[in-house]
Amino acid sequence: MDGLVQFLGQTGMANATPGNLLMIVVGLVFIYLAIRHEYQPILLVPIGFGILMGNAPFLQHNILALGIYDEGSVMNYLHMGVLKGIFPPLIFLGIGAMTDFSPLMSNPKLILLGAAAQLGIFLTYIGALSLGFTNPESSAIGIIGGADGPTAIFLASRLAPHLIGPIALAACTYMAMVPLIQPPIMRLLTTKAERTIKMKPPRSVTRLEKVIFPVAGILLCGFMAPGAMPLLGMLFLGNLLRESMVTKRLADTAKSTIIDIVTIILGVTIGASTQAGTFLTAASVKIFVLGATAFMISTAGGVLFAKFMNLFLSEGNKINPLIGAAGVAAVPESAKVAQSEGLRADPSNHLLVHAMAPNVAGVIGSAVAAGIMMSFLL
Amino acid sequence: MAMTILDLPAVIDLSAIGIEHIRLAITGYSAVFAALFLLAMLFILLPKILSWNVRRRNPSRENDPQDALRGGMIPGEVSAAIAMAISLYFAELHDQETAILTVKRVGKNYSPWNSKIYNVINFKGHQR
Repeated sequence: MDGLVQFLGQTGMANATPGNLLMIVVGLVFIYLAIRHEYQPILLVPIGFGILMGNAPFLQHNILALGIYDEGSVMNYLHMGVLKGIFPPLIFLGIGAMTDFSPLMSNPKLILLGAAAQLGIFLTYIGALSLGFTNPESSAIGIIGGADGPTAIFLASRLAPHLIGPIALAACTYMAMVPLIQPPIMRLLTTKAERTIKMKPPRSVTRLEKVIFPVAGILLCGFMAPGAMPLLGMLFLGNLLRESMVTKRLADTAKSTIIDIVTIILGVTIGASTQAGTFLTAASVKIFVLGATAFMISTAGGVLFAKFMNLFLSEGNKINPLIGAAGVAAVPESAKVAQSEGLRADPSNHLLVHAMAPNVAGVIGSAVAAGIMMSFLL
Repeated sequence: MAMTILDLPAVIDLSAIGIEHIRLAITGYSAVFAALFLLAMLFILLPKILSWNVRRRNPSRENDPQDALRGGMIPGEVSAAIAMAISLYFAELHDQETAILTVKRVGKNYSPWNSKIYNVINFKGHQR
């Protein structure tokens, strides 16, 4: 009889809390959104499933050592890759190997939109300070505005490891919500005439330029923001593997096997780190509100800067301000949003190629911003 | 008591923002701009430097349209023409057909269970 009581004491029936049940519902919603509506399924399926795993109501901190925060548990070891900042650079390696930077090289002035769209990072940093977060915590929260999950996780792991769960979840959630968050802001800040601006087709880019790009990129960004070296170094290395065309095998591995393995482990561990007991706090609510604000400000920053650039550009060279919203680093979702909004205004206006330029510049921009934050605060 | 979004205005404390924080934000944003501006300048200048080098090496053929191709730079209109030609070619191309329309011949291995002759000679009516 004692054995049965002991067994029942170990089950979820005895240990479930309302918080666990709430988080399980959140996990199920993530899985539903990913499968039914295809919102970032590559991220949301592992994260949603991780939330279920992390909130299955087991007895925490007992001899079984099951939880992600239990010393020596398997999940704890996997979580080390997040806490030590190992996974984000590996993801950047894969992104570099996947990304074609030629839209950016063919129209370099669009790179500036990727810088402008980092506005949300720095304004949210100020906002987070006013909500009572410390200086490093505020920096880690602000980076959500870059809309780049790996960068947010990397910076949080360096500056505020105790907030990594909510920051990572907020960043990944808002990346998935790009098609819902961005369009109203884009429409609000642009006129119908601006949305129908047709841009000149991009010029072709030589192989030599493509090879020079990652080398010049790492040297420039490395000198400006050495803190971003783990992320940008891997990003540009991945791109050099791709563009050199002599390391096809390595590029193929980086853009498929490595990034897939890391994405699965990263997603599951981020999800599992949202155990109700540690996740459902006032700080998490604030982080989610600040993250959404950061994302919206960044979108607005990109759109408004594109309009500002148009003041100085001649007729025929003007930029469709919708592509400014793609300056946030959610690749390629925000570029796709710019494309769909462009088509909505004019069914013959395809903006995807143009939007990819600020989009990939946003990846670089958010990583540089993270590096600068680290340089200031570490 | 759990905090809600409605409670947020009450917890805003603007006095926590110091001049050093504003300085960090402005400097950080400027540094992001500076890094990407330098990258943009590099890629505005780079094609000019590369094409200047090509022209310097072959001054006599400055207007030769083949120059662009030698440098690996295919003009946009040429790319469009090639794309259109490939598209038309594949649109015109008819599928290779095998002449086997629906039925695929499947070989059967011999077994007493599917042997026609075995079944026929063991049929009682036949033995009679």
